[in-house]
Amino acid sequence: MKSWLIKLGAVLAAALSLGGCGYNDFQRLDEATKSAWSEVVNQYQRRSDLIDNLVNTVKGEANFEQETLTRVIEARAKATSIQVTPETLNNPEAFKQFQAAQGELSSALSRLMVTVERYPDLKANKAFSDLRVALEGTENRIAVARNRYIQAVQEYNVLARSFPTNLTGMVFGYKAKENFTVANEAEISRAPRVDFGGGAAQPASR
Amino acid sequence: MPPARIRYALIAILLIAFSVFGAHAQALLPVPPLTARVIDTAGTLDAAQRGTLEAKLAALEQDKGAQVVVLVVPTTAPEDIAAYANRVGNTWKIGRKGVGDGLILLVAVQDRRIRIEVAKTLEGAVPDIAASHVINEAIAPRFRQGDYAGGLQAGVDRLDALVRGEALPPVAAPPGQAGAIENGFGLFEAAILLFIAVPVVSAVARGILGRKLGALATGAGAGGLTFVVTASIALAAVAGAIALLYALLAGAMSALPRSRGRGGGWGGPVILPPSSGGWGRGGGFGSGGGGDFGGGGASGSW
Repeated sequence: MKSWLIKLGAVLAAALSLGGCGYNDFQRLDEATKSAWSEVVNQYQRRSDLIDNLVNTVKGEANFEQETLTRVIEARAKATSIQVTPETLNNPEAFKQFQAAQGELSSALSRLMVTVERYPDLKANKAFSDLRVALEGTENRIAVARNRYIQAVQEYNVLARSFPTNLTGMVFGYKAKENFTVANEAEISRAPRVDFGGGAAQPASR
Repeated sequence: MPPARIRYALIAILLIAFSVFGAHAQALLPVPPLTARVIDTAGTLDAAQRGTLEAKLAALEQDKGAQVVVLVVPTTAPEDIAAYANRVGNTWKIGRKGVGDGLILLVAVQDRRIRIEVAKTLEGAVPDIAASHVINEAIAPRFRQGDYAGGLQAGVDRLDALVRGEALPPVAAPPGQAGAIENGFGLFEAAILLFIAVPVVSAVARGILGRKLGALATGAGAGGLTFVVTASIALAAVAGAIALLYALLAGAMSALPRSRGRGGGWGGPVILPPSSGGWGRGGGFGSGGGGDFGGGGASGSW
């Protein structure tokens, strides 16, 4: 009985010393995911600020389609009302809500951008075209920030799930974190349908 | 059975690691090696045009330190030009170490797309809107007429002016000059060196030569090295005296030998390179390694 215990202890000790207990790795990667997430939120915030300006510029254009504009304003209000802080990152529900709200804003925005093509005055407006560039730059930054967050979480989750560091994670309460997913995966994996037979092109949904 | 479990876990880790590679294994356009300031894989520029651009970019780096690279490719498919430019930027990491002032002007000829990808440090000098103006006012009109060299030239001129208008950290003295080492390797580094190296070296020297001779050798070594590195006799004398004292004291007190196998490794990495300006040596070209590209910049087409 005793020798069995000693054997088990030796194997466990060997396993732990093999990869270290990983506590410091948890600290490092947890912090990395948090800062990556802050950058994501930072860029979404910037987009939200820019949309405010954009909406005001578009409002100046007489008889602009009210419905498209209203949808953007509503989506923006909804997206800014949901804040996901690094502390609530471990809450999959809040994370999904945040992602859904931002996704809705993205699609409302791209619809607005398609609609704008029908208003030559607006397209020629310098303030509007500058805003458009700024918004496009922010979308790129969001993409990069999301990508970095995905990588940070991936690294963290590998640590949280693989043996023996998962034991450390269990003891100290480090669970695997939620990552970005594609909401409309089936839609995207289908080949795009190109239809030249009249009608506005379908805006790319994000 | 714990051993089997460990094996499974290891296999799982390996599989996860491979899946990381798998994600990158799609047929993406590879990032070309950073061989020059103007890289043209589409064959749109002749040698003379490339030379003019190179000279301009080299002059900018010499004056301001910022690293600007022009990359012309046939197409960025299957990626969007912005995604490809960002990948190139974060692979090359152009921009000085610790400063990160890099910029890429990317042209995809068949896609008829232009992208100015700006590292985070230069986002103040070249904001997205300014980059967009450079593309739409300087580059695209000339590209429309088929004048690729002229468009790139005009674009680089505008970017050059924008970067020169920004207050960046000054360029470090080129390495190889006598002054550079003295600037880069001051009192602080010497102190760190002594604190780390002296105990190790003295232990080894004492082990080989005996207590007193070893201490003497350590003192002489520390003094000599300090003189070589800082070129100051006073500093060298102080360092040598401290090292001698330490070695004598340590030798007198220690009953347990402290010889570790690492002692021999200290000769090489001791002389640190100056903290910035890691490129431009001998006219060769390499990345400063400091650039962080966060998606800033603008795209355009012609």
